[in-house]
Amino acid sequence: MLAPAIALLVWWYAIPIVDSIALSFQHVAQFDFSQRSFAGLQNYQQLISDPAFRKSLEITATFVVGVVPAQTVVALVIAAMLHNISRAKGAFRTAYFVPYMTSTIAITTIFMQLFVKGGVAATALSVVGIPNETWYASTHLALWFLVIVYVYMFVGLYIVIFTGGMETIPQDLYEAASIDGAGPLRQFLSVTIPGVRPFLVFVLVTGIIQAIQVFDQAYVIAGGTVLGSPAGATSTIVIFIYQQAFRLLDLGYASAATVFLLACVIVLGALGWRLAPRGD
Amino acid sequence: MITPLARRRAVRGIQYTILIIFALIMAAPLIFVLYASFLAPPDYLRIVPPDQFTLQNYRYVFSHAPIGRWYLNTAIVTGCVVLGAVIVNTLGSWALARFQFKGKRVVFLTIILILLVPLQAYLIPLYLQVVNLNWLNTYWALIVPFMVNPLLIFLMRQYFSRLPKELEEAAAIDGANRFKIFWRVGVPLTVTGIATQAILIGTWTWNAFLIPVTFVNDPNLFVLTLGLNSLQAQNYTLPTVQMAGVVLLTLPIVAMFLIFQRFIVPSFATTGLKG
Repeated sequence: MLAPAIALLVWWYAIPIVDSIALSFQHVAQFDFSQRSFAGLQNYQQLISDPAFRKSLEITATFVVGVVPAQTVVALVIAAMLHNISRAKGAFRTAYFVPYMTSTIAITTIFMQLFVKGGVAATALSVVGIPNETWYASTHLALWFLVIVYVYMFVGLYIVIFTGGMETIPQDLYEAASIDGAGPLRQFLSVTIPGVRPFLVFVLVTGIIQAIQVFDQAYVIAGGTVLGSPAGATSTIVIFIYQQAFRLLDLGYASAATVFLLACVIVLGALGWRLAPRGD
Repeated sequence: MITPLARRRAVRGIQYTILIIFALIMAAPLIFVLYASFLAPPDYLRIVPPDQFTLQNYRYVFSHAPIGRWYLNTAIVTGCVVLGAVIVNTLGSWALARFQFKGKRVVFLTIILILLVPLQAYLIPLYLQVVNLNWLNTYWALIVPFMVNPLLIFLMRQYFSRLPKELEEAAAIDGANRFKIFWRVGVPLTVTGIATQAILIGTWTWNAFLIPVTFVNDPNLFVLTLGLNSLQAQNYTLPTVQMAGVVLLTLPIVAMFLIFQRFIVPSFATTGLKG
């Protein structure tokens, strides 16, 4: 009964994962992928000195810094309020969760119309001094456009995870705090946050791991032109890998960058595992 | 002097207000897209009464793009992946949860290890395998690799582990073989788990973009996400048409979500990850 699962897992997961590492030490001929030759550490040496790769790391780091604190704080605060109220909980949760169910392509398409020069959001935000221009075509704003689209889609998921976590906090802790004269803010800081600590660790670690891999949104805004448009401003790690592999057909070189990505994910995963309290 | 009751009421009022404002922010883009999809192109970004709504954007999409074909492709791919993955994962996780066999620990640990590796990290070798099989621009490339899912095996194993051992022992005494026990005892008692699997993998497949964009470039084999992406790039100057495309792509999944939401929200909350 396990045989079909194992066969498929080996063929479509285990072999490709191992092969991915093997490829990073090889040169692959550009138009005949069956011609592979050993390259030693050449791909890695090239990677270290490639300014485009360094730029993609910088862009990805900026993206993560833009996304993770914002989505975590907003989700935590909204979830805490949702936890406090009694009526219409389900309706609110639904409204927050719908964007996560839709495709990134659909959401990015909508937001491109909202953030075009003269579009609803671009015009509204020009009131606070951001120039009214097409966000996804501006080298300064394109990455922040991706951050907004991304947070909009994922915040609902994290709200749901946090509300689930808050349900595990015993109600008498709140009552005790209330008798001690703690107001809502005090209760949030000294009861809710310690109570959801394991969930907070999970949301932070998963949030970073997911954000590192951002791809779809950046692909859509390139609109069939060079990936990472405008002018490389949205060239994240995965966009860099995709460009090297499927546009420039340098599979070995792209695989070296892939192994780097894999190492980041594993280190972060291990870190999360260590930080998470045992027994759940 | 503010009484504690009045204060609590005020706090509650503020909380509701913030939650409502946030809900409006989250809903606004979706309401905007639905509204704009019914506007004649010159009316875009204007407020018009409902009697001036038009279906012309939808007619334009249907007459300029093989959207019926895209729907069919998406339905075939999603249907096959859901059916295949649910069968393979459920059988496999039953074996992992209920049988004792040599090497079980190794299999289980390998599954967890694989689970941690994102698709982006082995896309290139996966692509090479698809090329070797001559599967570029076929349904096979979009279906077969996804007929097993380590995360869902893991999830399903939890459901099976919770069943009491006595049930299958009783069935075994009645002379049922292994497969019969699975079918008569395991499956009926874990319908929730099986449905959760189906919903998760169905949503992931329907919304998938990275895999189809890498394995398919023949417009006749486009799934809806690819179709919308090309529609968006081609009708750059026709926002109302793009919005109609968005509605067409999103409607089935949002409808499914609204019908089964009691069930869907917790399942995403427990797995937490996408894809």
